[in-house]
Amino acid sequence: MERFAFLGRFARNRGALAGALVILGVAMAAILAPLFFPTDPLRIVAQPELWPGEDPAYPLGTDSLGRDMLAMLVHGARATLLIGLFASAVATTIGVGVGAIAGYFGGWVDEISMRSSELFQTIPNLIFVLTIVVILGSTLQNIVIAIGIVSWTPIARLTRAEFLALRDREFVQACRSMGMGDLGIILGEILPNALPPVIVLSSLVVAGAILFESAVSFLGLGDPNVASWGRLVGDGRELIRSSWYICAIPGVAIMVTVLCLNLVGDGLNDALNPKLRDR
Amino acid sequence: MSGAKGSSRGRAALRLLRRRLIQAVPLLLGVVVINFVLIQLAPGSFLDLMTAENQVSDPATIELLRKTYGLEDPVWMQLLKYIWALMHLNFGFSYRQNMPVMQAIWINLPATLLLMMSSIVLAFAVGVAAGVVASVKVRTFWDTLVSVAAMFFFAAPSFWLGIMMIVLFAVKLGWLPVGGMETIGGAGGGLASVLDILRHLLMPTLALGLFYAATYARVMRSSMLEVAQADFVRTARAKGLSRTKVTLSHVLRNALLPVVTILGVQMGTVLAGSVVIESVFSWPGVGSLLFDSVSSRNYPVVLGIMVLGSLVVLAANIAVDLVYMWLDPRIEVR
Repeated sequence: MERFAFLGRFARNRGALAGALVILGVAMAAILAPLFFPTDPLRIVAQPELWPGEDPAYPLGTDSLGRDMLAMLVHGARATLLIGLFASAVATTIGVGVGAIAGYFGGWVDEISMRSSELFQTIPNLIFVLTIVVILGSTLQNIVIAIGIVSWTPIARLTRAEFLALRDREFVQACRSMGMGDLGIILGEILPNALPPVIVLSSLVVAGAILFESAVSFLGLGDPNVASWGRLVGDGRELIRSSWYICAIPGVAIMVTVLCLNLVGDGLNDALNPKLRDR
Repeated sequence: MSGAKGSSRGRAALRLLRRRLIQAVPLLLGVVVINFVLIQLAPGSFLDLMTAENQVSDPATIELLRKTYGLEDPVWMQLLKYIWALMHLNFGFSYRQNMPVMQAIWINLPATLLLMMSSIVLAFAVGVAAGVVASVKVRTFWDTLVSVAAMFFFAAPSFWLGIMMIVLFAVKLGWLPVGGMETIGGAGGGLASVLDILRHLLMPTLALGLFYAATYARVMRSSMLEVAQADFVRTARAKGLSRTKVTLSHVLRNALLPVVTILGVQMGTVLAGSVVIESVFSWPGVGSLLFDSVSSRNYPVVLGIMVLGSLVVLAANIAVDLVYMWLDPRIEVR
């Protein structure tokens, strides 16, 4: 029953529902990309700089080398979404780990955890990401880890707050008096109760991670084997005088995806905290 | 305000300043240690990179460099030496610019600070104004307009926004210069030069600042709506003050607090964002230097910018704390 009420509240928020549908569409396109465009999207297929609509076979036109924009965009969705999801997963893992330990144990553990989260907030985030990527190498894995490392602090602080609120509740004390270990209580008892708001925040971190990745790729420091949307914008940069659509189209894709993720996050937030709905 | 009260607030501000400065020391130390770890993680030694860059192959020279940089010491000794050097603002030497790292950064700093400041001022002014309008006209066309615009600018990548502005205002309409900070050949000096820089500054400022304007507008709106419910606002209205007066002098001042907090937290992201924007607009600042250093794997400069960037953030956070105290006298040193 509770679950249906939650879904109902979410669906009543038209923006969030529309956002969820668009994200679903983008995800489907990303998953089914090899079905629609079975050949390598980086293959040259037509004459370069065809404007959108000029040739019905290439509805979004071709880029400076004559590659199909639509095929690159759909395949780029895979890279962009995957990086966003994995980076958010890294951030959530670190954030929940640090926050849970800090909130549960308190004292000096808490102090050290919160100071280190302050430390990671002090270092300018994108500069840190670029530094890590440059020193360790521009691979997909390093980019995901780097974005995770600069994005975990809000999740840690939220998890800590939830744990602080829950750690002395009766059901936790009951478990403790039954002799349950700290790890069991943290993972089995408190975490499931603390998780819903954390999940909402991680959905917003996905949006942030996509923006980070697009900036890294735009600067030409992304994984050279991956054509994410940010890289497509960067590739089109030299041609803005003649063919600005090459930059514009992937940028719109980034913006729409991030916007919809934000809408979904806000919608989840409102649905989880009905009291805040009218704000 | 009486003199005694003023001086006690001055003392409180000094106490806050001292406390914040002491707290900043471990944070800076942490940044330095992270830097050091990153250097250790780099594939190939620091020396390999340096010698390759300068095409040094003479074994005697390499040995000398090895001694100079203390690469034979144990790791903890290297770390201590590194900290000691940084304490003397010695960030090493940049081979590409052929000058100390500190000097290379120093030359590029003014342009970046100008871009950061103008973006923050724009974001603050536009964001607060839009938030106030949306909250005063809540649930009207204006409120929706602000929400939609905020959503748009909150999701648009800044570099893309910048490129689209270049296409429209520089390439198609020809109103503004495509990039750079000054017209090549000079604009004639005096006021003309200032105006010339402002013309170059406009698009980068908008591209960098509008994202933050969107953030502040959203926070300001909800904060205004929340403060408007407070008891002291009802009291002020009951006293017979007009709605406008209450909004401007009671609600606004208190509603600004969360915006100021975010401003302090985001100082680092503004600095980081300027890296991308400087690359888009060929703005001759620290971001361009960073980008060049990153592409050429000039680690000393990259790490120097990271440490100095963290310093800027710490300084900004302390400044925000002082502003906070001035806005809300109830806040004591925590």
